[in-house]
Order: sequence, then C-alpha cells, then structure tokens
Amino acid sequence: MPPSNPLPPKENALFKRILRCYEHKQYKNGLKFAKQILSNPKFAEHGETLAMKGLTLNCLGRKEEAYEYVRRGLRNDLKSPVCWHVYGLLQRSDKKYDEAIKCYRNALKWEKENIQILRDLSLLQIQMRDLEGYKDTRYQLFMLRPTQRTSWIGFAMSYHLLGDYEMANSIIDAFRTNQMKGPYDYEQSELLLYQNMVLAESGQYERALQHLQKFQNQILDKLSVKETSGEYYLKLKRFKEAEAVYEDLLKRNPENVMYYEKLVEAKQLSSPDEKVAFYDDYKLEYPKAIAPRRLQLTEAYLPVFERLIDEYLRHGLHKGIPPLFVDLRSLYVDESKADTIEKLILQYIDNLAKTGVFSTKPDEVKQPASALLWAYYFAAQHFDYKQDTTKALFYIDAAIEHTPTLIELFIVKGRIYKHAGDPVSAYEWLEEAQAMDTADRYVNSKCARYMLRAGHVKRAEDMCAKFTREGVPATENLNEMQCMWFQTEAAAAYQRLQRWGEALKKAHEVDRHFSEIIEDQFDFHSYCMRKMTLRSYVGLLRLEDVLRSHPFYFRCARVAISVYLRLYQHPLQDVPQTQEPDTENLAPSELKKLRNKQRKAKRKAEQESALAAQVQVKREQHHKARQQQEQGDPEAPQLDELVPDKLARAEDPLEQALKFLQPLRTLAADRIDTHLMAFEIYFRKEKPLLMLQSIKRAWRLDSQNEHLHDCLLRFRTWLDDKQAGLPTGVTTVIDKETQPMFKGRSPQTMAEEFVAGPALRSQRGALWGARALRRLQPAPAPAALALATRLDLPGLSIQGCVEVLESLRAGDFGECEKETEQYVQACRAKFPHALAFKPDAPPADDAQPGDFALDN
Amino acid sequence: MTRAKIELGDVTPHNIKQLKKLNTVVFPVSYNDKFYKDVLEAGELAKLAYYNDIVVGAVCCRIDTSDNSRRLYIMTLGCLYPYRRLGIGTLMVEHVLKYVEQDGNFDSIFLHVQVNNEGAIDFYKKFGFEIVETKEHYYKRIEPADAHVLQKTIRQPQSPPMLNGTVPHAKTNGHD
Repeated sequence: MPPSNPLPPKENALFKRILRCYEHKQYKNGLKFAKQILSNPKFAEHGETLAMKGLTLNCLGRKEEAYEYVRRGLRNDLKSPVCWHVYGLLQRSDKKYDEAIKCYRNALKWEKENIQILRDLSLLQIQMRDLEGYKDTRYQLFMLRPTQRTSWIGFAMSYHLLGDYEMANSIIDAFRTNQMKGPYDYEQSELLLYQNMVLAESGQYERALQHLQKFQNQILDKLSVKETSGEYYLKLKRFKEAEAVYEDLLKRNPENVMYYEKLVEAKQLSSPDEKVAFYDDYKLEYPKAIAPRRLQLTEAYLPVFERLIDEYLRHGLHKGIPPLFVDLRSLYVDESKADTIEKLILQYIDNLAKTGVFSTKPDEVKQPASALLWAYYFAAQHFDYKQDTTKALFYIDAAIEHTPTLIELFIVKGRIYKHAGDPVSAYEWLEEAQAMDTADRYVNSKCARYMLRAGHVKRAEDMCAKFTREGVPATENLNEMQCMWFQTEAAAAYQRLQRWGEALKKAHEVDRHFSEIIEDQFDFHSYCMRKMTLRSYVGLLRLEDVLRSHPFYFRCARVAISVYLRLYQHPLQDVPQTQEPDTENLAPSELKKLRNKQRKAKRKAEQESALAAQVQVKREQHHKARQQQEQGDPEAPQLDELVPDKLARAEDPLEQALKFLQPLRTLAADRIDTHLMAFEIYFRKEKPLLMLQSIKRAWRLDSQNEHLHDCLLRFRTWLDDKQAGLPTGVTTVIDKETQPMFKGRSPQTMAEEFVAGPALRSQRGALWGARALRRLQPAPAPAALALATRLDLPGLSIQGCVEVLESLRAGDFGECEKETEQYVQACRAKFPHALAFKPDAPPADDAQPGDFALDN
Repeated sequence: MTRAKIELGDVTPHNIKQLKKLNTVVFPVSYNDKFYKDVLEAGELAKLAYYNDIVVGAVCCRIDTSDNSRRLYIMTLGCLYPYRRLGIGTLMVEHVLKYVEQDGNFDSIFLHVQVNNEGAIDFYKKFGFEIVETKEHYYKRIEPADAHVLQKTIRQPQSPPMLNGTVPHAKTNGHD
C-alpha cells in the first residue's frame, strides 16, 4: 500500500535508510538522515519521517521529544500505518499495552495484511490476555503465512486457551500430518505431548490415552509418557493397568512419594493395616529407600507405630540425619504418636549416655559417638515444638556441651529463644552459628532473618552484604536480585519499628517484583512458540495469571495495607525543625562540650556524605554498565524512585491500600484476612455496599471469626447512624443481605451474645469481645478489661498477649495503668523468656537519631 | 552397623571459629590471635578432624628451627571428650608422621605435655615418642605447671653441634 504522502525517490531512499538504521540500532545515523529529509522545507512536516525520528529519539532515551515528534508525525499523516505502528511501538516501550493495542489496530485499518504489525499485535494481546483478539490475529497470521510453523502453533494455541479443545486438536493434527516431516525429533515429541495435554484438558482421557500409546515411539520424554498414562488409567478406573505403570515407575525411582500414593490408589487400599502391609512389601523390595518407611509412619497406629518409629529413629540417629525432626514433625498432629516418640527418645538418651547403645536389650549394638548428640538435638526440637522451653534448652545445652562444634545446635538454640519470645537472644545465637561457617549462605540468610525479627534492619543488611555484590549497598543488590524473603521481612520489621515510610518502600519494592515478573513474560510469547516448549509455556501463562497469589505478595500487601490504614488514621505531621539546644542557659563547660559534640557530628556527617557520594558514583557506573549489558532496552520506562518519606505522606492512603488489596480479592479470596482488610478500607471510605460485600465474603469463609464479628458490629452501628442518608435501594439490599448475620439484633445484643459465648473460646476471641464491649454506650469498662486480660482461655500465645498489651497501652480500654502492670507481670510468669514482658525491655532497634522524627 | 567416617579437612578463614571452639574446650590454656593467624598459613600442618562430618578434633604444628636443627613442633593435638579412643588422634598423628616422612628433612618431632597427663604420654609413646626433658614451670596458669618434652627422633644427629661456626646440618655434613 503506498504511503498517503509519498516522498520523491531521493527522499524515499533516505527514509528507507532511517528504517535500516533503526533496525541496526544506529540511532545517530538515523537522526542524520531524518534531518536531511526534514530540512527540506517541502517535507518539513512529513508525517512518517517525523514519527521515525521520534522513535529513534526514544531509543536514545529522549522520551519527551520522542512523544512530541511521533504525535506530530501522526497528526500530519493520520492514515499512515507507519505512523500508527510507530506510535504503538512507543507506547509499548512505555508498557502501556492497552494504548499500544489501539495503535496497532489503527495501523491495521490502513494496511490490513502487514505481518509485522499483526505479529506485534498478537504478542500484546496474549500479554494482556485478550484471548478473543489473540485468536483473530492468529487466524489472520495463519491465513497470510500458512507455511510457517509458528502460524499453525499460534493458531492452535489460541483455541486451546479459549477452551476450544476440539479445534485446537484438529489444527495440531492437520499441522502434524501436513507440515512435520521426519526425522522425529525433540520438537515433534514436545508437540505430541502438547496435543496430549489438550486432549486431557478436554476431559477425554480415553482418547488421550490412545493418543499417547499410538505415538509413544515418537515421544522422547519417556518419563512423562509413563506418568501421564498412569494418571489416565487411574482416571479411567483401569486399576490393574495403573498398578503396573506405577510399579514400573517405582523401579526407576523408589523415593518418589507420589508413586506410592498413586499405587495405594490403584490397589484401592483403604484401611491403615492394608497400607502398612503394602509399605512393608516395598521396604523389602527397596531396602535402601526411605520413602516407604516414612510413608508407613503416617499410616500406622499404635502399637505397630512404636515398632516402626523405633526402627526409623534409630536409623536416623545412627546415621546422624540432621533434619530427622523436621521429617517427623507432621506426625505430631497425633498426640499418641508424639508421646511415643518422646518416650523413645528419652530412652535412647538415657542408654546412650550410660552405655552407648539404644536400649537395655542384651543384643544392642554399640552406636557411634555422635548418636547421643543427635538424640539430644532431636529432644531439644521435640520439646521446643511442645513449647516446653525449659526442657528444650536443657537438651540443646547438653548437646552443645557434648559437641560444641556442630553449627546446627546453635541454630536450634536460637530458634528455641525465638519461640520463647526472645528475638534478641535468638539472633545472637544465630550470629554464633553464622560465625562458625561464614561460607554457609543458608546460615547467613537465617541469621539475617532473625536480626530482622529482632528489629535490627541495619545489622541484617550488613549480614547479607557478606554475600551480595561488592561495591553496591546490600539492599540495592537484594532488590535487584528480587530477594523477596528479605524484603517482606524487612517491611514487617520496619512496620514493627513504626518506620512507616521504610515499610512501605519495601512493600512497594516487592510489588514491583511481581509486576516485573509479569512483564518478563513478554519475551516468552515468541520464544516458546519457536522452541516448541508448549507445555511449559501454557504452564507459564497460567502461573502468571495467578502470580500475586504468592504468599510473599500477601505478606507485603498486608503490611502495606495496615500501614496505609494507620497513616490514614494518624497522618504524619510536617517534618519538625531540628531543635537548637538552648545555649544561653548552659554553663560554659557544658557549652564547650556541646560545641565539641556538634563539631564531631558535623565532621562525621561530612565523612558520611563523602562516602555516600562515592557510593553514588559507583552505583551510577554500575547502572551504566548494566544498561549497556541490556542493550536495546534503553527506552524502558524509568520507574519513580521510592522515597520513604514521600510514601508515608501519600495524599490518598486508602486508594494506595486498595491498590495492594485488589489482586488479593481474586487471588486470595479464600483467605478471610483479605476480606477483613477490604472491610477496614471500605469502612473508612464509607462505602456501604462494598462493606457489605466484604463482610459477606468473610462470613462465607468463617462466620465465627472474631475479627469478623467486630466488623459486623461496627457495620451495624454505622448503619444505625447513617441509614437515613442512604438511597432506599441500597438500604433494601443491605437489609436483605445482612438479615442472616444481624438477625435483627441491636449492636448491644450482638456484643452481649458474643461476649457470653464465642469470646470465651479463645484468647483472641476475648480480646475482640472486650473491644466489642468498649464500643457500647455506655461501655462497661471494668468488664471489658477483665475479659481482655484473661489468661485462662485456650489458644494462649505470646503473640496474643502482646496484642492485648498493645491494646491496653493504646488506651483501647481507657486508663488502666495498674491493670496493665499486673497483666505484664502475669504474662511474665507464664512466658519468662519473652522480652515483651520483661521490665523496661530495651527497644529493639538500631534506629539512627532522627529516624523517628518522621513519626508522630 | 557401618563404621563411622573419619577424615581430615583444611582450616580456612570460614571455619576457623570451629577450631577456636574446639581448642577452648579441649585445652586448659587459651591461644592468642597470632596462633590462629599462623594456623591459617600452615597448610597441611593444621588440620581439622571430622567424625561423621562433625568437627571433633584438630592438630596444629609449626616448623621449629632453633638449636641448629629442623624439627616439627606439635602445638596442639586434641579431640572432643566423647570422641576419644575412636582412632581420631591416631589419624592426626599419622598425618603428621606422614608429612614429616614425605618432607624428608626433619630431625625430630616434639611437643609439650603436662606431667600428669598420663593418657597423652602413653598415647605418644605408642608412636615412638620419648620423654627427653622436663621443664619446670612451663605453664603459667595451670597446675601442675611442669611439662615433659616428648620427642620422636627421625634421624640421629651424627656429630654434636659446634659451639661456634657453621651449622652442622646433616646434609652439609654429607650424611643422609
């Protein structure tokens, strides 16, 4: 199609050279040729040239000019596909995919069959999950280039993703018979497995099975063939055949837990005795395999269990398997099993210490010297799990006395202190462990994490710095590496330290990682299609769709939301002026001291800023180096720098909180916290219908939740207050929907009923019940206080007591200094190690002076 | 039951803390920073002993060239209490003996031991060490303060050392 505003041959040749320069990244030359055309007054406003000049400028990082030129070009030539395409490319480089799609569509209006534009469009559509649009585009590409492999694959996949399995299957069939000619290679094999996946997803297991059998000679991934056919047999209830398949698979790998479970399914074993006998057979067949032994423990009950666990523990202690306890921990849900283990381990310790054998039986064999050590180690973890801090410490100290060179012991000792509520001792023991092997990154990370738990963010960063790249601050490198465990922990640590801005910064960093991971998909859309790794590609697409369901996201979102809610309630004041000390009233000697101090501080500050400048220079160099590495992407949009102070002073904290909440509402809809957080936000925004929706969703998950009850109560009270002002439609809906929850009760009755029943079920319930009482008018303050501070309810925990204490100190229950002190003492008696209840516990932080100035 | 695995490993800046911990519990005397700094340079002369992958013993030596002879001095050789009589000390001594043999240029190996440490004395005697001297008040802060010098001669000095003049080194004297 001729351009709407053709250039004469000479200029046209120049224009072609601009295009070539763009493709070869010779941007400077491109600009030179553009100038040659545009300097001719006749073509000064030539649209396509202007657009290309803009695109070239964008690649040189001159974004604003780029937009200016591209827009000007487009205005001058609205019917040019080139101009629209260029505008699309520009938007795409800015990650504005929606806009870019519109531009491509416009471009295609003027040039329907441009392959390049269609291809670019299809990539954007799949990235944005516009599956219908993707299908249409792939169809056109297919019609235009029926000989190309990717045309077929993309065409088939577009149907698959839309759930039209038949169509997808027949396209692949046609493609295979017409296009794929031997020899049968990896790509053929993958394509067949992909086709098989399509068939299975359509629910036609019989057909999928036949397909698999028919082509098994052409499929190179033999393991997949076996595993999927086993799966199909089970789905089709052809148990004999399934059994044979899994027997066969076990020969390949007798440690695969899934094979055993599937085999149990195929053999239709249901009673524990049958299963125990089943595992006995495999223990004989594969005497070295651990999996059948371990799985058997889950199925067995006393008294058989005792014999089996005895065998298992002896083996583990003899060999010195460090994670033996972690391996067995899941058995502890059955109390009788936990008791048996305790009995045995104490028996071992007794005998090993005296005679070096496991029991008093005459035929016992002498054990290695390390067996006693591992028995102590196990006992320490056992009692720690049972929250018996005294015994846990006794055994871990015995172990350290026995062998002070074993690093694991110090990790467990730290963990015992952590569980006992003393994060400071906990991290100190981890520091000890870390020092014993400074090349061990696991211990290093663990130590850093314990430091964060204790509120020592700076120390944790220094600890991580032992493994991060030199010359760059650890936090920067950790962020670059998307080290999310660190960042979520740091966010929580900052939150506890009430350094809101810093906490938000970490939460935003994590959020950006998720965006980046979604962004990173882009390259795979074309790559996987070429490489034929279609099964993994579909897996990737599905993963990306639910990416933010990851626990890391949930945790950082929860921090962000609660911080924003807090900042909404208590906005930060302006930065206070640094106070000049009152020099007039000072004695001369004190004045001198003060001056000295100030001088020192100044010098220190100067040194620090010099250092910071150095770091800055290095960082810039590093940044440049990186940009050069990632050539071709200098036009990527620059994200705003995250400045803690700015984040903490967001003008719209509730909107910001909502941004973090949104993904959770679909991806973490099964977690009640999601809906409770949603309620808290909408309650403050006074959105009755959204409050209702949040409450209803939470109600469906757990109508007995204590926090939910509080939400209901507040909603009820709010409605009583505001109902008159609401449109009748809204009130009708609310009345109808809340009927099963409110049951026509007044807030008064609701609170009283809650306090009389559910509140007494747990410590947490009591706290919420007490809060409910406080919401009543007039509030029965003594009763509320008495309820909140009860220590005789189930589910008592350090964390629970800390929450109550915070509530008391925050004045939720009015003036109660005496009661608070009594409560602290009572808690201390219950949890003697917990720092939170120690008299004047030192604040655990390494905040620099001034850091708290941000807080009010 | 399978035999326990015993092996030797290097001392590195990463794991030197383990050596320190071990020495603190095994020996009644404490060693200064210089000791540990030198150990890092000592190569095969400083080793950790592992029992089923746990550090349970260590040996640290240095080359002593005083008194006109080239001798290997065992500064420390020890094993955690629960792991004694399992062949760990033997492995370490054998390592030292092998080192001396391969080097081929040592006159003797020697060490100090507290006079009441009969276990240690018997242990070294098994390898051909003999008490050659007793130093009074060798130790500063422990009782008894006297130490035996245990020595294993590798090659006999052929002539008594001259009082003045050149070193009567075995090689320069033409003996092997």
